[in-house]
Amino acid sequence: MATTTATITLSSTDLLSDELALSTTATLTGAGNSTGLIGTEGLARKTVAGGHGAYTLFDGSAYTADKAHKLYLKNTSTNAAEFFLITINAEDLGRLYAGDWALVPWSAHDDDCDIKIDPSHNDMTLEYMLFTD
Amino acid sequence: MATTTAAVTLTSDLLSDNMSVSASTTCMKAGTTADGLDQIEYAIVEIATGDQYDLICSTPTASKGSKLYVKNHSIDETYYVEIMIDSQAIGRLYAGDWMFIPADFHDANADVEITALTGTNKIEYALLHEGTALIAS
Repeated sequence: MATTTATITLSSTDLLSDELALSTTATLTGAGNSTGLIGTEGLARKTVAGGHGAYTLFDGSAYTADKAHKLYLKNTSTNAAEFFLITINAEDLGRLYAGDWALVPWSAHDDDCDIKIDPSHNDMTLEYMLFTD
Repeated sequence: MATTTAAVTLTSDLLSDNMSVSASTTCMKAGTTADGLDQIEYAIVEIATGDQYDLICSTPTASKGSKLYVKNHSIDETYYVEIMIDSQAIGRLYAGDWMFIPADFHDANADVEITALTGTNKIEYALLHEGTALIAS
């Protein structure tokens, strides 16, 4: 069985009166079991060369529904004004600004549950990797 | 300004070559490198099965650089919570899973909703944000 782990560290010395030092590791497993996730797509990069608009990064109909897929995203831009608007099933998830990353659970619960990216500027690059159940 | 750093490391032996991806970002307000996110809502709650709840009870300012961390502290591998935004299913956090996402709160309906399945799930969450509309007493 493959083993995939995801570790996050959130830290700050001046956000609160006491230091924030949160760290946790998850072993990414299938829905309702302890078997490691079995598939991956990426690591990959996509540069949106021209024009604005929403691009389908992953098509919900192509993945098994109601599973424990996980998606890693990173906006490689260095221009603070540039962001990708991330949507799932046409609902805004959030804005991924320059340098930001995200780890998103994705259930692909029906055929409309596409993951789309909408860049704020031309020539922006998104790095991504999908782990599938 | 407050400086909060979010770092991630992904490792896997799924491929023929072992993979290790790391990234780190300083959590900034929207569109700037000069001012970090300086407000946080950090809590742990137990979510009982049966209903869909708003995880964030206040109303953060819309379309900013907010970040949301959620971890499912359950141990039983069959336990999970469904994460939804404006009633659209996003994904499932099973026992031990965590997520870190940009959170847009783009309109009044764009609540982050959570539903516990299989059993009561203990959920830790932290919202880094730029401001929120408090509820008048």
